[in-house]
Amino acid sequence: MSADPHPTSGEIDECWREIGVSGDRSCPELEEHLHCRNCPTHAQIARKLLDRPLPPGYRDDWTLHFAKPDEKAPQGEEIDSVLIFRIGEEWLGLPATICREIAEPRPIHSLPHRRSEAVRGIVNVRGELLICVSLPALLGIGAAAAVRGAERIAVFPRLVVTGEGAQHVAFEVDEVHGLHAYRAHERGAVPATVGRSAASVVATMIPWKGRAVGCLDAGRLLALIDRSIA
Amino acid sequence: MLFLMFQLGRDRYVLETGQVEAVLPLLATKQLPGAPRGVTGAISYRGRPVPVVDLALLALGRPAEPRLSTRIILLRYPSGPGQDDLLGLLVEQAVETVERDPADFTASGVEAGMPPYLGPVASDERGLIQWVRGEALLTPEIRDILFRQQAAEL
Repeated sequence: MSADPHPTSGEIDECWREIGVSGDRSCPELEEHLHCRNCPTHAQIARKLLDRPLPPGYRDDWTLHFAKPDEKAPQGEEIDSVLIFRIGEEWLGLPATICREIAEPRPIHSLPHRRSEAVRGIVNVRGELLICVSLPALLGIGAAAAVRGAERIAVFPRLVVTGEGAQHVAFEVDEVHGLHAYRAHERGAVPATVGRSAASVVATMIPWKGRAVGCLDAGRLLALIDRSIA
Repeated sequence: MLFLMFQLGRDRYVLETGQVEAVLPLLATKQLPGAPRGVTGAISYRGRPVPVVDLALLALGRPAEPRLSTRIILLRYPSGPGQDDLLGLLVEQAVETVERDPADFTASGVEAGMPPYLGPVASDERGLIQWVRGEALLTPEIRDILFRQQAAEL
């Protein structure tokens, strides 16, 4: 058997090129799956690529790779992950353990006789009515509409659903970066310049892309939200 | 519950992913002369020696074929009270995971005389898949031979 890493087209039935989306689209399965990438036949053929013999050197290269100690994972050090998001000019981290969902922004229905700064109203997230709080008001961050330069092409505001157990609360953010994993030794102290109400909730600072990101403390944040709703 | 699927011959089997430490590509193994049948050798995983059992050899009587889809599943294996060891399982077609409810698995109907590692079965559109119990994969005798040396070093 040859160890050619690229199989010749004879070994693989390229149905997507003949009757699929790259061909004449006459495949009856297209009706159901719309695109070849959704089709189980396509997946089956893709899996066949892994049925090939090992390329030369493959086994030895991987053997050397896994024999080396993993320097990226020092033993015994805790790894934590946070959801990094932006409010105004401020980048903050929400512990991933209390992050439930990121949703598109949607209309917020204000509550009658409720003129609190912190509670914005009610939002509908997949049929569940959640209280939407204003994190800028809670943390005392100026939610000044930041004028962004040309460095960023597009930013999308998002709705973040947080909470523990069955209790969920939503808040709006100007942008969500995604999850970021960090190690315990990266944590730094919160500088004194952080506003007082924010300092009570920001537990640690972690470096991220040359910035210091304030990581919110899960327990204190949820307690603060609870107090603001009550 | 998430399961890692592999094949022995034509049949599909699953392992519970909670037991799986990592899935490695096919590595070169160091032969262990005189090792019991089914044990192909040992690999170095991050500097730690890990014995590798060829499931195809154990169950089908022929070694696993060297292909890209043949992989080594590193299983956390209870080697004694309160301690885990790593065990490598050389399996074919380890390319898929499936999400199944453990309650979907029912007794296969043939329990007597079956190898102790084979568990209940569940069906899907391609046929039956069988749950492999990681903790029952090795007989106590093989386990003693494999891990005795490590225990002696401690």
